[in-house]
Amino acid sequence: MAATTLFFSAPMAEDRKVLARGLRRRDPELLDGLIEQYQYRLFRYLLYLTASPETAEDLFQETWIRVLDRGHQYDGRARFETWLFAIARHLVVDLHRRKTPQSLEALTEEDRGEPPELAATDPSPLELFAQHQSEESVRLSLERLPAVYREVLLLRFQEELALEEIGGVLDAPLSTVKSRLYRGLQALRELLERRGM
Amino acid sequence: MNREIHERAERLILQQQVEGLSPADRGWLDQHLESCPRCAGVAAATGQALQSLRAVSVPLPPALAARAQLRVYLRARQMRESGPAGWAPWLWCGLSWALGLASAPYVWAGFRWLGENAGLPGPVWKMGVALWWVMPALLTVAVLVIERRGREESGERYDDVR
Repeated sequence: MAATTLFFSAPMAEDRKVLARGLRRRDPELLDGLIEQYQYRLFRYLLYLTASPETAEDLFQETWIRVLDRGHQYDGRARFETWLFAIARHLVVDLHRRKTPQSLEALTEEDRGEPPELAATDPSPLELFAQHQSEESVRLSLERLPAVYREVLLLRFQEELALEEIGGVLDAPLSTVKSRLYRGLQALRELLERRGM
Repeated sequence: MNREIHERAERLILQQQVEGLSPADRGWLDQHLESCPRCAGVAAATGQALQSLRAVSVPLPPALAARAQLRVYLRARQMRESGPAGWAPWLWCGLSWALGLASAPYVWAGFRWLGENAGLPGPVWKMGVALWWVMPALLTVAVLVIERRGREESGERYDDVR
């Protein structure tokens, strides 16, 4: 319990070691807390990769089973979310290899299900409409981006991961990460401009 | 202004967002953007694109965390239950090998004595010795197969919990 409280109150380097020990012990309270804490970020990441809420949900559960099974492999040197996303990514790649003998590179719009619905939070009807139009444009633009670009854009600009951390999640060199970010950002900007944003 | 200057500016605009700029590049870009409405537009559009991206929210499926917690709980319980049992056959197997090696000379002498007293041909009592050695291994394999089947069946049950 003390380990759980310490980790959730201040996720510093020392606390990552505490977290690693908890994962090795398969501490149920710790795992429950982690699932709660990371549910939004992990589900969003999986949704960006798979573009299917059902698949993302299945993989969400599988990811946590892997965390339980392989918790002893987390040594606390990297941030937990980096390790978590890497596990989730491996599961997505495995799934796509089983479905089609291709890698994540081929995960583009023709292989996707229904796009995710976006939540509107503004109470004003006029602003709500404008926001809906804006989010719709972003959603449609993101749909047109290949998954490898969506993925790095999410990790960099929503998860705020460092470039090296993204390289760790992707198991790719820094040059690949940068190149995908440049291309993805440029493509997103052009798509949004075409939609008048 | 020539095309190369605009291309450099566009590259720096992206670089600024992705990995940051050196003070020299930043100074050059700021100066260029003040005098070039086209590139200033690109910079503004890039900033707007990122702002829009950051504003995208994703609705969570109901009880997402609770269902994952349940599966993790069941899996943890399954691991606890199957953990010690998984070692038991190997433990018995090791003990069996150790006892087999220790008793081998006596078993051989015993079977020979029995065979000679019963008037059995050599190959028959030697076959008896071979069976004596093989039986523990066969029993161990049977235990492992039964245990694996049990695990697979319980794994299928856990897969249904979603």
